[in-house]
Amino acid sequence: MKSFPLVSVVSFVVLVLAQVMVFNHLHVFKTINPIIYLLFFVFYRFESNQTLLIALSFLLGFSIDLLSQSGGAHTIATLTIGFIRPFIIRYAFGNTMETPQSYFSDNRILNKLIYLVLLVLLHQLLYFTIVFYSIDALYHIVKNTLLTSIISLILMGITISFYPTKK
Amino acid sequence: MQRILNALLQFRNPILYFFLLGLSIAFSFNQSPFHQYTIEKYGFYFSTKIYEIKDGLSHYFNLKKVNQQLLEENKQLKSRELASPLIPLYPEALEKPKRFPFKVKKANVLKNSFNNKRNFLTLDMGSKQGIQPEMGVISKNGIVGVVHSVTPNYSNVISLLHQDLKINVRTNKSPAFGSLVWSGKNPTEFLIEDVVSNANISVGDTIVTGGMSSYFPLGIPVGKITKLEKIQGSGYYSIEASLLNDLSQVYYVYILENIDFQELQSLKKKLPQ
Repeated sequence: MKSFPLVSVVSFVVLVLAQVMVFNHLHVFKTINPIIYLLFFVFYRFESNQTLLIALSFLLGFSIDLLSQSGGAHTIATLTIGFIRPFIIRYAFGNTMETPQSYFSDNRILNKLIYLVLLVLLHQLLYFTIVFYSIDALYHIVKNTLLTSIISLILMGITISFYPTKK
Repeated sequence: MQRILNALLQFRNPILYFFLLGLSIAFSFNQSPFHQYTIEKYGFYFSTKIYEIKDGLSHYFNLKKVNQQLLEENKQLKSRELASPLIPLYPEALEKPKRFPFKVKKANVLKNSFNNKRNFLTLDMGSKQGIQPEMGVISKNGIVGVVHSVTPNYSNVISLLHQDLKINVRTNKSPAFGSLVWSGKNPTEFLIEDVVSNANISVGDTIVTGGMSSYFPLGIPVGKITKLEKIQGSGYYSIEASLLNDLSQVYYVYILENIDFQELQSLKKKLPQ
C-alpha cells in the first residue's frame, strides 16, 4: 500500500472549510448553493485504497453535514459517490489499461469532463432526492439537480484549472 | 473461520459502505422529523399489509366461531324485537305495553324437505335444551312451522309446507283474520282461507301472524297478498299469498317458547266441550 498522500489530507480539510465557510453562503440566483467539496474525489488518486476512500467520503459528508447543520443528506450522497467512484472511473476513462493513476495524470479532456459531470450529477441527484424525499417534488429535484450541477461544475472547473496537468 | 474472514475482507468495501450508509440514514432520519415521519409511514404501510394478510387468514379460520356468535347475538336481538312495544301491530288502544310471553331459542336445521305434500324439518335441539311439542318456529324472514315431536337431542318440526298445518294470520291493516294453508305446489305459494268478504284488504298487503294461537305472537311478517277474489255467494275471500321466507333456504331457526303454554292449555280444558 502506498503511503497516504498528503494532498488528500490537505484537500479534505481545505475543501470542507471552503464549502462551509464560503460556498454555503454563496446563493447563486438566490437559491443555488454550489458544491465544491466533490473535488476531493478528483484529488484522491484513482489507484489509492478504496476502503479508505469510503471511510473518508463518509467523514467528508459527515463534516459538511455537521458544520452546515443540515440533515444527513450530504453524508449519504457523498458516501454513495465514494462507493461507486470505481464504476464512474471505469465508465469515464474506459475499462482498459488506459485507466490513469489520478485525475491529473490524464490529458483526455472529454473523459475528464464525463467523469466530473457524472460525479456531480449523481451526487446532486442523490442529495436532492434525499432532501425532498417525495415523488411529488420530482420537478424540484430535477430542477435543483441540474442548476446546482451546472454552477458547481463551472466552479470546479475553474478550481481544477489552477492545477498543472502532469504528463 | 479463515474463510469467513477472507470473505469479509474481500467484500470489505460494500460492507463498509452499507454499514456507513445505515449509520448516516439513522443519523439523518433521527434529526429530521419529516424523514422520520416518512420512514414511519412506509413502515406502517408494510406492517399493515402484513397484518391484513394475517388477519384475512385467521378470519377465514374463525368464520365458524364468528357465525355462532352472530347467531347468539341475533337470537337476543330477535327476542328483543319481538318483545318491543314499538311494533305498531300491537293494538294501540290498549295503551300500556303488552306482556310478551315468549322466550327465543336458536337451533340449526339438520334436515329440511320441501318436495312432499307433508314436509318436516329436523332441528339439532331437543327436550334436553327445553324444546317441547307445539312451540312455534321462525326464521329471520318469517315463520317456519311448529314443533311436532321431540327426542332428547333433536326435534321434528311440521313445516309450513304441510297441507294440514293452518296458521292464524291477519293483514297489517285490517284486523280480519284467516288461516294460512299451503297450496301444495310451490314453496312460496299459499292460500288464505276463511277471511270474511267485508274485510278491508287489498293486493300487496303484508300478512302477519294473528296472535290467536299459542305458537306465535302477534305481528311476525309472513308474506304478501298476491291475488284477491270474492267467492260468489259464500261471503268469503279467496286469497293467494306469497311467502317472504323461502323455506327451501332455511339453515337456522329460532324457536319460540310460550311461557304461558300450560296456563293456556289448562284454560282450554275448562271450556265446556
